[in-house]
Amino acid sequence: MKLNITLPKYLRIGLLPSILLALMGIAFVVAMMRYAFGIGAISDLSYAYPWGFWISFDLFTGVVISSGGFLMAGTVYILRIKEFEPLLRPSVLTAFLGYMMVAIALLVDLGQPLRIWYMMIHWNGTSVLLEIGICVMLYLTVLAIEFAPVVLEGVKLQKWAHLIHKFIMPFVILGVVLSTLHQSSLGSLLLIQPTKLHPLWWTSILPILFFTSAISVGISMIILESSLSSRYFQRGLETHLLAKLAKALPITLGVYLVIKFVDLAVAGDLHYLFTSGIMSVLFWAEIVIGVITPMIWFSIKKNRESASGLLTGAVITLLGLILNRFNVSWFGVKHPDPLTYIPTFMGNVDYFPTFPEVAVSIGIFSAGIMAFGLAAKYFPVFEAEHETEEAHQPAHGFQSVPTPGDD
Amino acid sequence: MTEIKHHAYLFDATRCIDCRACMVACSVENNIEMDKTRIWVAGLGVTGEFPNLQRGTMVYHCMHCEHPDCMSACPVGAYTKAEDGPVIYNPDLCIGCRYCMNACPFGVPHFDYDKGLIEGAFIDKCTFCPQRIYNGQEPACVETCPTDALEYGERDELIAKAHARIAAHPDRYINHVYGEHENGGTSYLILSHVPFKDLGLPELPEEPINEVSETVMEMTIPFALSWGAVLTAVTVGVAAYDNKKKAAEEKKAEESK
Repeated sequence: MKLNITLPKYLRIGLLPSILLALMGIAFVVAMMRYAFGIGAISDLSYAYPWGFWISFDLFTGVVISSGGFLMAGTVYILRIKEFEPLLRPSVLTAFLGYMMVAIALLVDLGQPLRIWYMMIHWNGTSVLLEIGICVMLYLTVLAIEFAPVVLEGVKLQKWAHLIHKFIMPFVILGVVLSTLHQSSLGSLLLIQPTKLHPLWWTSILPILFFTSAISVGISMIILESSLSSRYFQRGLETHLLAKLAKALPITLGVYLVIKFVDLAVAGDLHYLFTSGIMSVLFWAEIVIGVITPMIWFSIKKNRESASGLLTGAVITLLGLILNRFNVSWFGVKHPDPLTYIPTFMGNVDYFPTFPEVAVSIGIFSAGIMAFGLAAKYFPVFEAEHETEEAHQPAHGFQSVPTPGDD
Repeated sequence: MTEIKHHAYLFDATRCIDCRACMVACSVENNIEMDKTRIWVAGLGVTGEFPNLQRGTMVYHCMHCEHPDCMSACPVGAYTKAEDGPVIYNPDLCIGCRYCMNACPFGVPHFDYDKGLIEGAFIDKCTFCPQRIYNGQEPACVETCPTDALEYGERDELIAKAHARIAAHPDRYINHVYGEHENGGTSYLILSHVPFKDLGLPELPEEPINEVSETVMEMTIPFALSWGAVLTAVTVGVAAYDNKKKAAEEKKAEESK
């Protein structure tokens, strides 16, 4: 006998959304445990390691992978390079969701999450974290305004969408300024730890390095997210546009590489490149994977012009540059190697994220992917496509399970 | 008792016998659990080569820096530096971000990892016993110390005392008062017979380590304004160029008709 259960149409969800929902559920349970029993109950954070996986992944990685938003907004609105318009809306959406994920993750990580708004009224001007907090809050607002026309068009309020569009320029400029500030400030966040961060990474120009690498990450993210969504939603890929973006990568990465090594040489830290054991290995891993390999990869025309070449290159770049964020905010902090700091009196001097800790981050990330999918399905995120390609297939991402009734 | 203008501690590692009475006193005075006291004692074991063996014991304590990094880092200004020495934490402003723990080179601020949302998770650190020092008493840890390894008083006087002690017994001490200049000076001064590094103390420059980030922060607003101005100029310029080009093209198109 064939078991035939038919769900009402709105309950039919595909495999990917179900997995995402399950991951979100786990994260929710873990977060509730954290609120009930404290951060120590679910994480390996300690007096010696007050910041761990959440900060490295949710804050450092989350912010940097959202940098595509301001890059595209700047390119399309300020430099008026209109051909990139098809990439604008997905990038702004990614950025908006990225920052939302940062904010949600901070609500788990903060000891007093209900006081997060204190940053708006109690200001300590010397704190880099305050600058980041304020920039992120303001930039979230700016991104909401930048994305609002898409939502308004989606609910057929063209007039309002038009109105916002008319006054968008000040917000775009503000958005680029805010992004420049906090992308670099994430680097400044570690300036106060010269005794804790390994000299391979601690330098007074950390903010400049962070901003330069954020540009490369932004470009790679645009390539990655366009490639993935084109596969998932089975729509055309703007390979010619992505190829143009990819052409910029060897340049942005090259600038970063030069600054990084010149700075190391000036500081007289070049000997650490080979003498710091695992730290040297991590440093070279980040440089080889995130900078040198992509520079070579994207210098080859064939790689830039094929969909798989673009995707592979972008993934490599992201892996390497995200490793950089992990190195700076976690792996390179408080190492025992060149003895600049020995926390002998701390009980737990090793840190390794626990499963619930990682589950929170994965759950929040899943929510981001889910939200991207839903937004892409219900709002004209890939709208520019609709105009150029009339014979475009309807997106059917979130009901991808074929049902007999559909034919 | 004379009025103290700048409260400070002096710790003499050669005198400490690892009895940990200061930890108990701190716990009792401030009503905090033993595993969360604001003072930690660590026996560092035997160092040196036979027959010149040494034992070190270190009492870790908030250094009450003259230019506190916790205060510099705290986004909401929950830390203040009193003019007469103590670095004070205010739980009413704290958002629990733990940036102060990252910033402090001595790893002093502690966090309530075992407290949920209802109890509230806060930072804890030495308060300098204001309930005692402003009533003419010594801080609890100092008062209880049986060997005078911990002393309390006017900062300048303690520094002079420390140097005098080194001068009297140059063979017994390393000729350096840790905290006199480290990180811009601290109000917890340390004398030792073993290298300070062996006591687990970081090697710090004389300039406060928060100077770099504070300089960057000072540049932020001027940078934001000028970067905004540049972007506005570029926007206007590109728009003007674009419109001109469009007008020229339209004209051309009309002419060719």
